Amino acid sequence: MREFVTTFETLFNNAIFYYALFVMGSYVILTLLSAIEMNGYMKKNSYVNYREILVSPLAPSVSILAPAYNEEATIIENIRSLLSLHYGNYEVIIINDGSKDNTFQRMFDYYQLEKVDFAVDYQIKCNEIRGVYKSKLPSFSKLTVVDKVNGGKSDALNAGINVSAKDLILCIDVDCIVQEDAILKLAKPYLEEKYQVIATGGVVRIANSCVVEDGKLVEVNMPKNLWPRFQVLEYIRAFLMGRMAWSRLNGLLIISGAMGLFDKNTVIKVGGYDHTTVGEDMELVVRMRRYMYEQDRRFKVVYIPDPLCWTEAPTDLQILGRQRNRWTRGTIETLWMHKDLFFNPRYGVLGMLSYPYWFFFEWLAPIIEFLGISVFIMLALMGNINWEFSAILIGMVYFFSIALSTVAVLFEEMSYQQYTKGGDLVKLLLAAFLEPLFYHPLTVYWAIRGNIDKFTGKNNWGAMTRKGFKGNNASATTEQTIT
Amino acid sequence: MNFFETIINYIKETYTDRLVYFPSNIRVSLLIILFCAIAVLELYIYIAFRRLHQASQNRELKNWKEHIDNMLANLIIFDESEETDDIVAHFYPKMKKLPLRNSVVNKVLISEMLTYHRNFTGQIQEVLSILYRKLGLDKKSKRKINNKNWEIKIEGIREANEMRITEMADEIIKYTDDENALLRMEAQAAYIKLSEKDPFHFLDRAQERILDWHQVVLFEIITKNKQLTIPPFSKWLRSPNDTVVMLCLKLVDHFMQFDAADEVERLLKHHNPRIVKKSVEIIGKLELSDAEKNMFEVYFDQPEDIKLEILNSIGKISSGNYNDFLASRIYSPDIKVKREAFYAIKRDPNNGEDKLREIYKQTTLENQAIINHVLDNRIKS
Repeated sequence: MREFVTTFETLFNNAIFYYALFVMGSYVILTLLSAIEMNGYMKKNSYVNYREILVSPLAPSVSILAPAYNEEATIIENIRSLLSLHYGNYEVIIINDGSKDNTFQRMFDYYQLEKVDFAVDYQIKCNEIRGVYKSKLPSFSKLTVVDKVNGGKSDALNAGINVSAKDLILCIDVDCIVQEDAILKLAKPYLEEKYQVIATGGVVRIANSCVVEDGKLVEVNMPKNLWPRFQVLEYIRAFLMGRMAWSRLNGLLIISGAMGLFDKNTVIKVGGYDHTTVGEDMELVVRMRRYMYEQDRRFKVVYIPDPLCWTEAPTDLQILGRQRNRWTRGTIETLWMHKDLFFNPRYGVLGMLSYPYWFFFEWLAPIIEFLGISVFIMLALMGNINWEFSAILIGMVYFFSIALSTVAVLFEEMSYQQYTKGGDLVKLLLAAFLEPLFYHPLTVYWAIRGNIDKFTGKNNWGAMTRKGFKGNNASATTEQTIT
Repeated sequence: MNFFETIINYIKETYTDRLVYFPSNIRVSLLIILFCAIAVLELYIYIAFRRLHQASQNRELKNWKEHIDNMLANLIIFDESEETDDIVAHFYPKMKKLPLRNSVVNKVLISEMLTYHRNFTGQIQEVLSILYRKLGLDKKSKRKINNKNWEIKIEGIREANEMRITEMADEIIKYTDDENALLRMEAQAAYIKLSEKDPFHFLDRAQERILDWHQVVLFEIITKNKQLTIPPFSKWLRSPNDTVVMLCLKLVDHFMQFDAADEVERLLKHHNPRIVKKSVEIIGKLELSDAEKNMFEVYFDQPEDIKLEILNSIGKISSGNYNDFLASRIYSPDIKVKREAFYAIKRDPNNGEDKLREIYKQTTLENQAIINHVLDNRIKS
């Protein structure tokens, strides 16, 4: 028995070691690719005058689709902010997804809405649209409000697509703070790529503790609370390093649900957002990609490193946990729905690289990590642990994690340098030391919970409560709950 | 021995005496730890130095910018009745005194002069151009244009472009068909402004694609430049380069070049659907009723978006020759086609809206809803 346990321990140590090495190797490669992509993007776009698109009649037309559910406290400000974006040819479509509060009434009164005889072409299935409204005031001519029966975020976006009259659709969370030049930057790849661009996404940043005035971000600050601060680091790593690298490989599987610009025709051809998954943003991109492969058409999904959208990160661990739980379930659902892509050469980079990567490193990684920790505890209890070797292995992962986060901070420094105050930079660098100890174990726990919930059939969206940006910074003024 | 000394001694021993005796995976782990620790330390030092350097550079830039800005601001308040040469003679010695060998000063001066040149007209622009040359900055721009690095080439082209150094057009033409898309675009944009003889010559030799983005930029330059002599763009509508054809179609459209009608009509049979669609759009916009028959003939072979464009154009032409065709389209299974057909009928100057109201009385519920939609002027088509 003793011999068996010793052999098991050796095997276990080696397995964990090689898996960790494999994961770390992939991160190094992604970091290098991301550096190349970022460098190219920064060089290329330093010569760009975005005003050319702003005033040009040749720029693609864009519909902004923003679903709203129980947003009465902030909806007026949010719409005003969307109507003041810098772009020539765009419309704003707010989809009131059967709000139970006064969201619709507030919009109706403030923007002086009136019902129009809109004949909706239901190109994508969605719940009944009760009415389409336009403002009587010419200054709000860009605004359209769709009132529909509640059906969730995906359903609301599908309704918006059915009403949209433009070439591209910008799907956003209505409570996000959108940079004024966001559409200009997201639309540009549609004009410059050799192949058809089907989707573009930009970096989502954390707005906690930032100063927001009239729906616009006026001062960037590092979150005071430690949990959002960890998320800042996490977002920088994920967006500036991970997604840029996948964009370079043309293997990007996800455009953040908070903000993404899509080719409307392709979205309609694939049937719009899927109602049955909580990972609708990832699932749509995967379905669009596989459609393009099946049509034998060359295409690109582009990611740009500009910070275009600022969102409030959860400060409450329970809410954060729910969010991560949902992300995990969304990943599992998408991977399961498209399981035939797994190492399927017909789907090129999607089948041979992106899908397996998400399978092994996004879905499986927390499970393996959890199993590793469990076995470690079990072996420790049995007194079969070589503490020194274990500490060295854990140390390797810890130091690698710090190095990776520090490189991410360097990327941020060399690109957009949003955190200009020296103190903020120090806080960010310190967070890199603490994150693997305090925050990462929690993300693993939430991912495991997500797996358990998925396989035990708990499939709700999970309440997502936000504090809102009213006033100087994120203060407790409004609560938004998306069900 | 205190705790820290114990730790340090342990680390020292681990990496010196004991390393070779560890199993290979532990050895690799130790090396990775060492590598990461050194990398993090170096990155911290680099980030700190970068911030310090940035701060000092910003200070220097700010000081020089303020100084040069003040100098150039005096240009604006200079009496307009003064001769240009006198103003130049007044400013030149002052500017000459600037340490132009200092790269920061050089950079700030050029950038500020370009900004002022862009934002002012008349005598101020003229003075700035003369000063630019007298200070020898035009030679520097030329050197930049011939630099190996494409980014520096672009910088040089931009300077020449803004300062209207027309003699550099011959240097720039060679880049108008360069493999590097950005350089190509900058060169094309500059060539249009700088070439005095034939600003569109680059279109004759363009083999590389003029990306949509470049088309936006070129379109802006061509349509906003009032000094430019606009040629008949139909002469490039037979170009083997589809992107040249596309750009020229957009320009034919903008400048309403009716002379291009025959060429545009010919493009209805072009292999590129984007060109066909644009041609159809122009036919509608210019109301080229002679082309209506051809559009109708190609209608059934086209993808949906071109079909919609053809219906739209027939509506704009409103000759009345295809009323039956439009009436037949309102029973298409495709709602978009129906809607476009209704819009086309509505555009008929002979009581189009009344016609729709007549149809309303005897058509399906779905069509009635679409007619209501089309008649609702609050909804933009």
